[in-house]
Amino acid sequence: MQGLILKNVSKTFAGKKVVDKISLELTKPSVYGLLGTNGAGKTTTIRMILGILKKDSGEITWNGQAVDRKSVNFGYLPEERGVYPKIKIYDQLMYFAELKGMDKVTADKSIRKWAKVLKVEEYLEMPAEKLSKGNQQKIQFMTAIIHNPDLVVLDEPFSGLDPVNTEILKNIIIDLVRHGKYIIMSAHQMPTIEEFCTDILILNRGKTVLQGNLKDIKAAYPANRVVIDTTSDITKYLKQAKLAVENEKDHQYTIKIKHENAARELLEQLVADHITIDRFEIMKPTLNDIFIEKVGATNANS
Amino acid sequence: MQTRNFHDILTVIKFTMRDILGRKSFRISTAIITILIILGFNIPNFLNSFTNEGPSSDTILVLDHDNVFEGKIPEYDDLELSTESTEAIEEKIMNDEISAAIYISRTDSGSPHLHYLVKNMVAASEMPTKLLDAFIYQYTANQVNKLNLTPTQTQQILPSFRVTTSQVDTQEVGGNIFVMMILSCILFFAIYFCAYQVSISITVEKTSKIMETLVTSTTPRTIILGKTIGIGLVGLIQILLFAIVALISAYTFLDPTLLNAMFDLSTFTPLLAIIMIVYFILGYFMYALLYALTGSTVSKPEDVQSANMPIAFITMIGFYLSYFTLSDPTGDLNFIAALLPISSPFCMPLRVMMGIASAWEVTLSIAILIVACVIIAHIAIKIYSNAILNYGTKMSLGSLLKIYKEK
Repeated sequence: MQGLILKNVSKTFAGKKVVDKISLELTKPSVYGLLGTNGAGKTTTIRMILGILKKDSGEITWNGQAVDRKSVNFGYLPEERGVYPKIKIYDQLMYFAELKGMDKVTADKSIRKWAKVLKVEEYLEMPAEKLSKGNQQKIQFMTAIIHNPDLVVLDEPFSGLDPVNTEILKNIIIDLVRHGKYIIMSAHQMPTIEEFCTDILILNRGKTVLQGNLKDIKAAYPANRVVIDTTSDITKYLKQAKLAVENEKDHQYTIKIKHENAARELLEQLVADHITIDRFEIMKPTLNDIFIEKVGATNANS
Repeated sequence: MQTRNFHDILTVIKFTMRDILGRKSFRISTAIITILIILGFNIPNFLNSFTNEGPSSDTILVLDHDNVFEGKIPEYDDLELSTESTEAIEEKIMNDEISAAIYISRTDSGSPHLHYLVKNMVAASEMPTKLLDAFIYQYTANQVNKLNLTPTQTQQILPSFRVTTSQVDTQEVGGNIFVMMILSCILFFAIYFCAYQVSISITVEKTSKIMETLVTSTTPRTIILGKTIGIGLVGLIQILLFAIVALISAYTFLDPTLLNAMFDLSTFTPLLAIIMIVYFILGYFMYALLYALTGSTVSKPEDVQSANMPIAFITMIGFYLSYFTLSDPTGDLNFIAALLPISSPFCMPLRVMMGIASAWEVTLSIAILIVACVIIAHIAIKIYSNAILNYGTKMSLGSLLKIYKEK
């Protein structure tokens, strides 16, 4: 089978199971979201996928073959950003391109192409220490994709980037998928995951707590809040209906609900009393809500 | 796959070498050491430029107004009998025309009195013993000759000594101890500093967080071997550069007689040069791998020194074991030092130079060193592979053992 498949993969460190029978399938070009709190086992899972850490049990295959780092063309943007501070950007990019098996001419073309796309051409001849953190991050992103890998693992790709650079990176990721690349993305920003990922896996203390197609997961969850934008104070209606206000600012209310019926009854009451309503939206839970519910508020905060 | 591995090792070697050679600190330190070598070989000339203000001649004038020696003074290189006045002689000493003068007179009891006159007593506080002995012998000879003894009787009183030296040990020991000590120190510092660089280089990669990208680009074995070879080559190039500068400086600036006296290079054969390079490479490789191991266990540059301390200690033991047993090269300790992998790189080349190392000894020593390198490489690569991705506090010996046992 094409793509990346993990079957019951486990890893134990010093008697502690940090990854416990994880399975996932990334069988078509898309972005797979790997979520979890700090210490949930994401990095260990990623390291096993990349072959830099040996699994204790289970199977990891790429296009039907057991993963061997030398036989696959992976790209990796680690969470811990790093560059050689004293070495010219071009030289370090060429170094990594050569280590990934590229010849100098092809590597040079690739470096110049991606430097243009990421708008870092002017920094190629500078030592890395002279670049801003954002630009250093773009250089590391280049290191991950410069050799045109089939599978790219991105650990927190947008952290520390300004909105302009975030947009550039987002467009590149969309383009990579369009060009048939498989991407595993680990991120803490749930909106980012919702924007990119087709499938997700949420880890908690090494165990899978939720997994599947993101749309299906969200569809399975009932609506849990209502947003009302009005010109009047509707506090007394909310009290009567025994609805809890999650947030209120300038008569824009976010209200928690247990059933959609409660929202509909409230709407009927407001309409009957001729309250002007600019917006009334019954909302499905966000990925953030689902994450907190599954992993627990304490872990999410950490 | 083998071609790819070889290509990757070459890439790491080239990158490591370019990185070090491109560093300002490396260029500056190399330039400073080169200048120091040139200056060092100019020290004799530099000192001469000051001492030239001293006597231009080594002549010592002898004034024997009381005729104590009856015109027969010792046949000594720079001694000349003079009849000049004391004022004229003192002027000659002050003008550095002569180095000293000896006034001979008799004491009240009739014994000879030798007065040694120099320009400044800081440079020469008393008459050289050899010179005094020559005067005593000459005076005795003068007195014996007056006794009209037979030649046999004279020879019994004034025998001419024949002094010889030999050794009990059956092994012949050759070579210049000064040159050997210098070579031993050069080997030690070259191996120590180059190997230490490996540790620094690995820590830089860990602290700059580049390690994760690197380790997913090639294997840990490739990184560690490429880095070790790259730094070793730079070290070798640097040592050769210093050696060439030292040789050119020695032949350009040093007085040939002084050069021959200081550096008797007659025992420095091409075979010895090859053996020295082999021991440098193997010794460096062994210590570099040990330093790679410790370098991979730290995450902060400030921890490097304390992590490297045990290895530095082992290096010191190896060096001093070789250095202190040099005075008894045919002893058991020096033999053991020549076989022990921690000391053999500093010791065996010197035994070869002294001509006391047999072919089997050298072969055995190199074989032990190679086996030690292979074992250390296996352990170092295993620990390095698992430790480089650990960030946090410095690792203990216990945690290193755990890491070694990890899959």
